Amino acid sequence: MHAVSYTAQWMAAARAQESEREDALFVDRLARDLAAPKGFELIERYAGGGLLPFISIRTKYLDDAITTVLAEGDIQQVVLIAAGMDARAFRLDWPDGVEVYEVDHGPLIAEKRRRLDALGAEPRTDRREVSADLTGDWLPALEAAGFDRTRPTLWVAEALTFFLTEEQAAGLLRLLASASAPGSQLAFDILGRALLRSPFSKPFLDTLAADGTPWIFGSDEPEEFVAANLWKVVDLHEPGQPGAGQGRWPYDVQPRTRRGANRLWLIRAQIASA
Amino acid sequence: MSSAGIDKVRDWILGRHPGRTELALDVNIIESRLVDSLAFVELVYTIEDAAGIEIDFDAIDIEDFQSLATIQKAFFA
Repeated sequence: MHAVSYTAQWMAAARAQESEREDALFVDRLARDLAAPKGFELIERYAGGGLLPFISIRTKYLDDAITTVLAEGDIQQVVLIAAGMDARAFRLDWPDGVEVYEVDHGPLIAEKRRRLDALGAEPRTDRREVSADLTGDWLPALEAAGFDRTRPTLWVAEALTFFLTEEQAAGLLRLLASASAPGSQLAFDILGRALLRSPFSKPFLDTLAADGTPWIFGSDEPEEFVAANLWKVVDLHEPGQPGAGQGRWPYDVQPRTRRGANRLWLIRAQIASA
Repeated sequence: MSSAGIDKVRDWILGRHPGRTELALDVNIIESRLVDSLAFVELVYTIEDAAGIEIDFDAIDIEDFQSLATIQKAFFA
């Protein structure tokens, strides 16, 4: 499988571990089976530095974003971009009439389907698989699966932007905007630049690069980045804040003005009005 | 005076590890994971407060942060 597929297994392993905690932020009963064969090994390989709590807090933040946005009732179309081993379609409470598109590359989609079928997993909503190359023009494949760009959409891009260059991340936001009806929203995460430049992060970042999945893009001005690419931030959290894993984050939350702080941005944005 | 400064840094590190009561000057705090990549920024702030200085994040030399001894030499000498 492609290297990025292994990071999908890593995320699944992290979710499996979270699910088994007494104070679990969410329970993903499929995660353990979706994490094989590499997921738990990668947890060891990438250990330290707050990654596990961050993965859990981010998952929970995006769960809440999906629930909140759908409860408003205007959006019934959800697209999970680079869905990986995400099992939200099987574990969240989805309102009636919602379609969930899971976009990822073909081999991953096929392997995930094989495992889910073996487990007898039943989605709790209208779940649609979309095999597509996310580095190419993937909107036609999404539309072929039933996606309707004239209806408002909730896009979810979890653990994706840092694998891109700044130009690619900007291009992704603009591409999503191009297929977003008024009222569409986007929930995702961005790394801070300090984290990518800190000499203390270097051993971890070098390991990721050696594994073929370097972390590249980050921003210390997420509102500006988002606004420059046709979206408007409507909610921004950092891990450890109320609503984003308060009590589970083992570090201080630093004020925005503090120099050099390591940032992890959890973001919900709205399509900018034309 | 320099000893009071490094004591503040030691206390901050020990405060993050309730099971630990001592930290010798020569223990490598990075390799032993007493300070990880996300806690690093808090270490820098702690040193700044204790030493009354401002550290330039763009010019950080990781060798200065390997142990209490190297921190003392770099920021409290």
